[in-house]
Amino acid sequence: MNVFELEGVTKQYGRRAALRGFDLSLAPGESLGLLGPNGAGKTTAIRLLLGFSKPTSGTVRLRGLSPSDPTSRVGLGYLPERVQLPARMTIRSLLFHHAALIGLTGAAADLEVDAALEQTGLVERANERIGSLSKGLMQRAGFAQAFLGSPDLILFDEPTSGLDPIGVRDARDWIASARERGCSVMVSSHQLSEVERTCDKVAIVNEGQVIASGGIRSILNDGESLEDAFIRLVRQERK
Amino acid sequence: MRPSSSAIFLELASEALWDATRRRIVPMIAFVSLISLLAVDSCTSCGSGNITANGQVVPVSEIAGWTGMLVIASLSMWMMVLAGILASDHLTEPLSDGSANLVLSRPVPRGAFAGARLAGALAIAMATAVVVLGVSAALLHLRSGLPLLPAALAGLACLAGSVVVGSLAMTLSLMTTRVATAMLVMVFVGAVTFINSLGLTGVELGAVGTAIQVLTPPLSTAVVVALAPWTDPVVPDVDPIIMMLKLCAWMIASVGILLVTFNRFEIRQ
Repeated sequence: MNVFELEGVTKQYGRRAALRGFDLSLAPGESLGLLGPNGAGKTTAIRLLLGFSKPTSGTVRLRGLSPSDPTSRVGLGYLPERVQLPARMTIRSLLFHHAALIGLTGAAADLEVDAALEQTGLVERANERIGSLSKGLMQRAGFAQAFLGSPDLILFDEPTSGLDPIGVRDARDWIASARERGCSVMVSSHQLSEVERTCDKVAIVNEGQVIASGGIRSILNDGESLEDAFIRLVRQERK
Repeated sequence: MRPSSSAIFLELASEALWDATRRRIVPMIAFVSLISLLAVDSCTSCGSGNITANGQVVPVSEIAGWTGMLVIASLSMWMMVLAGILASDHLTEPLSDGSANLVLSRPVPRGAFAGARLAGALAIAMATAVVVLGVSAALLHLRSGLPLLPAALAGLACLAGSVVVGSLAMTLSLMTTRVATAMLVMVFVGAVTFINSLGLTGVELGAVGTAIQVLTPPLSTAVVVALAPWTDPVVPDVDPIIMMLKLCAWMIASVGILLVTFNRFEIRQ
């Protein structure tokens, strides 16, 4: 069974179609890069998977369930494009709050929170208020909450925005380590290099449709980089 | 692993309560409540003596019940408005700043999230109501000898009314702005109170007034009916059991409307 599936999904916002006959799936253990220009429909697809909105038509399944069923989100990590965290909380209290929401309490919560802080390099800053953090540290805190409880599926929406080059490198390593332990990963981004380094499959989205998908090598022509292929496919579609 | 719904609700509700206590409006509520209590202290300070009305001398003790009813009913309406104002952005704020997204990406039922945000806002409103109404009732008891039980029942009616107004305000806030919601709360509570009061005096309400009286929650009527023993022998011609059942039905329905609306709500941030 696929981890998630979107089949023939259309999403209308008034007269504007954010998605049109959108098809996408992810098998267990796969890492998929969702590439597309701004406004292509990448975030809309993620929002449908999380049950934040409902498709106008078509089917969305998360672990075989409707995304409106909270059980479908068990073992799911999510990092939104613009991480917004409660300013008054400390990083540690935020993580304990999320630990409680996934059923971790007591010693298990302590272990998971410490592991997430350690992984994202936030141990020293754990007791700082989120409101006082820089954008980059806020993004790290966002990563920490996404990794909490060792999820088996993580959805990253523009995960490296706001990170400095060291942070970007760290983020790639964190995503790679999640993949190594068998976690299914979807990275939505318009940073082609980021997807090339972290994913083994890509889906290119343009104007609400998946215009190409498959292994990275399978969509490249001879001597072509992912960037070249992306521009070729998007331009071809626009004609 | 998925925690139980009650564990999720408690976690979210304590978080929502923390959030509510840190809002800028809370010191203002404390200040206005203090002013209200000072006004009540002033209003109830004349426990004995006479007043002259239309040339007739009336002992103050004879109108203490009416004074007490006016004080408690007015404060109850203000407490319901407060519940509505607090609820008018307590759900929409985390939705609009995006901080709700991470919570709702967890195995959290939407109903638990909305219910917890409502509980957080109502906890502040209810705590204020308990203090303000409690102190007022105590002053009326000590200075005018008014029994406490009617005041306690009126307090319960006020709390139930606060749940109704808070839930409806929170639902409305999903469809309109905070300012519009707050204005509509004031208009709604004001209109219902006016019509309820007219209904209690036996005035002919007309078609619109009757419709409001029948179709809206008995916010003011329930409070006044609870306080009826204070104005004995003048008792409003309303069955208190029916009145309380109607208010309870409204309480359940308004929370249900909020949960259903939020379940269907598109989170766009």
